[in-house]
Amino acid sequence: MFKRISSWLYILLIFLFLYTPIAVLVLMSFNESPYNSLPFTFSTKWYSEMAHNQRLIDSTLNSVYIASITAVISVVVATALMLGAAKASPKVKSWVDSVIILPLTVPWLILGLSLLLVLKTLGLDRNFVMLLIGHVVVSLPYAVMVLKARMDGMDHQIEEASYSLGANEWTTFIRITLPMLFPAIIAGAFLAFMISFDNFILSYFLIPIGSSTLPIEIYSSVKFGFTPEINAVSTLILTGTLLLLFVIVLLMRSSLKSMMK
Amino acid sequence: MNERQGNLPFLLNCSRVGDVVKNRIFLMSPAIFIMLAFGVVPLFIMLYYSFLSDGPSPTFTLQNYANFFQKAFYLKLTWKTIQMSLIVTLISIVIAYPAAYIIAKVIQRGQNLLLLFIIIPFWTSQLVRAYSWMNLLQDGGILEMFLRKLHLIGDGSLGILFTQTAVIISLVHIFFPYMVLTIYMSLDKIQPSLLEASKSLGATPFETFRRIVLPLSKPGIVTGSILVFVPCLGVFAEPRILGGPNGSVIGTVIEDQFFEINGWSFGAAIAFILLVMVFLSIWITSRLIKRGD
Repeated sequence: MFKRISSWLYILLIFLFLYTPIAVLVLMSFNESPYNSLPFTFSTKWYSEMAHNQRLIDSTLNSVYIASITAVISVVVATALMLGAAKASPKVKSWVDSVIILPLTVPWLILGLSLLLVLKTLGLDRNFVMLLIGHVVVSLPYAVMVLKARMDGMDHQIEEASYSLGANEWTTFIRITLPMLFPAIIAGAFLAFMISFDNFILSYFLIPIGSSTLPIEIYSSVKFGFTPEINAVSTLILTGTLLLLFVIVLLMRSSLKSMMK
Repeated sequence: MNERQGNLPFLLNCSRVGDVVKNRIFLMSPAIFIMLAFGVVPLFIMLYYSFLSDGPSPTFTLQNYANFFQKAFYLKLTWKTIQMSLIVTLISIVIAYPAAYIIAKVIQRGQNLLLLFIIIPFWTSQLVRAYSWMNLLQDGGILEMFLRKLHLIGDGSLGILFTQTAVIISLVHIFFPYMVLTIYMSLDKIQPSLLEASKSLGATPFETFRRIVLPLSKPGIVTGSILVFVPCLGVFAEPRILGGPNGSVIGTVIEDQFFEINGWSFGAAIAFILLVMVFLSIWITSRLIKRGD
């Protein structure tokens, strides 16, 4: 009994630490003071200011586009990789693993500036293509990890059964492998989206002059005078993702149930 | 075992084997290409730049590295950055381990929900969270008011903001959830029967933990440590926001070289030194693990 109570107490403390800054950020988005100072006066002023801040809206949209494209590319490439590696020899597998893990062991700062140097070598200006490539490089390992976990836990005999019943590779992939992988594909895409959406460092190095993404906008605003509009945007994004997450969980639940049948 | 069995019917269909091998490599190639062309090759390009002099007509030089190793400032900064990253990693292990253990082994229901709550903060920008810490930690800020209400501090100010402590708090806040996840994953794999066996053989809970749970969760601790330590070595935004005038770390110096001073080659040299440090620390960690086994 004591063990359980102290366990929950500990979890509570962890969540207190984890969520206090987020609570502060949400609260401050409704605080009238432009300097986030107390006492608290309720106001939705920053939300209407945000709605009229074209620069902030543009950079948020940029982030959404970049993260969406990154998520799609990452998850498609990662799925192809996992299908390819599934039947590979252990030696090839471990080689592939170490190549994929590499971006996790290189600080993003270094990856970002080395890609910037690639542009310099090629005589190109900073551009969205290289920025996207950079985002894919850092998001791909996460998508691969999610898919790998799912592939390892999958019952491959079902695929073999499909082959032995005469289905070709394509049919087996569409009717067996893909549905089994589907939750991991969604989770991997979500993770890749999130890594890209919050990525400040790579974007900072590779963004074309004059454009920006939300994290860059936040950084410059923190550097040169913060406005609570940033709090308002962050609150909206948090709410939006929570809703999206909720929908995905609901969808996955029904897809899991249909798989059980 | 399982895999070999799985391969059998597949291989029986010999006429297709050639196609399959071709397809498989074809499927793997996009990922491998992206990683090699944009993850590995650029690092060599960076290495190349680090040996060039800055200016309109670059020549080969060792000056960038000489500059770095001759000035106490850079060496001190390197040490400071490593120290800070180590502290963040250690604190993360200490606070994440019990949390992961509780979620994996103590709580019977709702593990997935708790894990979800651990990762939800990932969906708010790291920079915004760093800024929130600024609100919390500043003198006269929320934390100070709260602590004063509880009579935990006197009339003096908190004095945390714009120190290394503030940077460390925010980095732990950003990175320790990764540690919870990786340790949870390794703890979750431990069969309950193993723990019961240990108990029935007369081991105390502490002995069971030290001799079974801890060794089996080591991979999670190591993966988590890499996921925390490596990004910490390269941070520059959080030290800028929370670290104040003495907040410089290697990351901020590299940023300055690239964005303020135009010392690209020197920046590349520092970045390469940082990269060597990263690989060295990963190598040392893996050696330590092997010895432990």
